[in-house]
Amino acid sequence: MFLAIKEMKHEKLRYGLMIGMIFLVSYLVFILTGLSNGLSNLNRAAVDSWQAQSIVLNKDAQINLPQSVISNRDRQVLKNKGAQISLLSGLVQNQAGKKDSAQIVGIKTNQFIFKRLKVTSGTKELHSKQAIVASAFKTDGFKLGDTLKIANTQVKVKIVGFTNNATLNMVPVVYTTPKTVNLAKYDGQQTTTLVNGVAFASKKPTLGTLKDSKLYSAEQYINKMPGNRAQTLTFNFMIGFLMVIILIVIAIFLYILTMQKLPNFGVLKAQGLPTSYLVKNTLLQAALLAVSGVLIALGLVLITAAILPAIVPIKIQITMILLSGLAIIGMAMLGALIPVREIIKLDPYQIIGG
Amino acid sequence: MANLELQDVKKVYGTGSSQYEALTQINFKANQGETILIVGPSGSGKTTFLTIAAGLQTPSAGTVKIDDKVLGTMSVKQQSQLRLHKIGFVLQAYNLVPYLTVQEQFTLVDKVKTANLTASKFNEMLAILGLTPLLDKYPNQLSGGQQQRVAIARALYGDPSFILADEPTASLDTERAIAVMQLFSQLAHLAHKAVIVVTHDTRLEDYADHVYELVDGVMHRLK
Ligand SMILES: Nc1ncnc2c1ncn2[C@@H]1O[C@H](COP(=O)(O)OP(=O)(O)OP(=O)(O)O)[C@@H](O)[C@H]1O
Ligand SMILES: [Mg+2]
Repeated sequence: MFLAIKEMKHEKLRYGLMIGMIFLVSYLVFILTGLSNGLSNLNRAAVDSWQAQSIVLNKDAQINLPQSVISNRDRQVLKNKGAQISLLSGLVQNQAGKKDSAQIVGIKTNQFIFKRLKVTSGTKELHSKQAIVASAFKTDGFKLGDTLKIANTQVKVKIVGFTNNATLNMVPVVYTTPKTVNLAKYDGQQTTTLVNGVAFASKKPTLGTLKDSKLYSAEQYINKMPGNRAQTLTFNFMIGFLMVIILIVIAIFLYILTMQKLPNFGVLKAQGLPTSYLVKNTLLQAALLAVSGVLIALGLVLITAAILPAIVPIKIQITMILLSGLAIIGMAMLGALIPVREIIKLDPYQIIGG
Repeated sequence: MANLELQDVKKVYGTGSSQYEALTQINFKANQGETILIVGPSGSGKTTFLTIAAGLQTPSAGTVKIDDKVLGTMSVKQQSQLRLHKIGFVLQAYNLVPYLTVQEQFTLVDKVKTANLTASKFNEMLAILGLTPLLDKYPNQLSGGQQQRVAIARALYGDPSFILADEPTASLDTERAIAVMQLFSQLAHLAHKAVIVVTHDTRLEDYADHVYELVDGVMHRLK
């Protein structure tokens, strides 16, 4: 579209500023999307890495794994189905005395959670008093072969491997055997291993008749994670609000620009140029502005994500970013409809008089 | 045969006590091959007359016909198509598009219309109008008279049957003004256009086939 492009080339500063503005807001939206994604990921990364589709929890536990205990009766019904999870939240301390919060997760090596675990360094084996731990611990200097003391207990585990994406409720995970978890929990006083929940790889596994427990979907479980919902809502609200701001700002800017150009459009209309041609040019201009702004923001977000320290929980999911990018472009087009109305209404005689 | 006709045309601006009759009972006809000059003082209704003739305004009464088709019965879109294909309008305020070069002011219509003048024919006109060295300039780099000539050339580029010009020589020196009028009369005689020029510039009378006078909205034939 000749007119639109000609004008943008001639008025570089004006349109550059507009692109800059769209870029800034898009960048903010993308960063927020990434942060929202990243934070929610800290909650759920471990569950996602198991690719669990459903989980059996005590029905009185309000879908909360740490609060859930599977009754002996239901454990008999479930037997070896799914993957049992024994959980202990606490602190671990390495030889150097460095302490870290950890979710100590007991899993059986013959069940699917262990089988799906991807070990990035060390060996994929898990015997009593051994642990495969979240890579996040590396930033605190934890190494293969380190012995970790579980705080307030006599139990020590040895790091035999590291694994990525292992955070549960924002806290990095230490995978070990259920027996080790039990030992830490009860100091050897209790012999039956306590099971907090049983995860399943399918949505509707065949279970026996459960009495004290219930099957929940993985999504149900994740949504009930403490703070998860409030956090997601907050971010969605901010992002939605920014979208509305984009809509208004673009509408205002395009409106002002178009009002300034009305005399030109009036002359072109007087010459007989079809209104549709002028409208198409205006829409194309809005699209060009929005697409350029969004693309620049996209590039910069990728760079930002690459150089930000790992501790900042930004997770760029390209489909999410593309979706919000499209939404921004959609908003820009919506904002362009107001100036388009002015062009359609424009009576050339009003402009050319004299 | 191409013609433009106004029958009993009246134009009243405003309503109630602020009513002002800018044109009274105009009967007028322009045929192809003729150059018609309409002279009149400022405020006499020249622009009103010309914009009504081009379909940019509707008359309060009476009819405007172009090639025997009544403008009042056409849709806005049809009228716009008619202007695009048949009418070359030179505006009193030349209103060039600020971000297009002189060359692009002309060729813009290529985007929506074919059958514009061939390059060789148009270049001849550009030479007559003294625009050849200015083609790559933007309007803000031109003098008022240069802009006016660009506006004239822009009206001619689409090879219209009717050329309606509002004070086309207001910013031109006598020599240029006469060159423009000679170009118009050539276009009428050789290319069979109908040319209507409104002006307060009496220098131009010698170059027209017919001359009318417009005073306070009333039209008389002088020649
Ligand atoms: N939109 C309008 N509303 C009210 N009055 C108008 C309007 N346009 C023109 N007029 C009046 O109509 C009369 C004729 O105006 P017009 O513009 O046709 O004059 P003109 O002959 O072209 O003058 P000039 O030589 O100064 O350009 C003027 O008195 C003017 O004030
Ligand atoms: Mg006038």
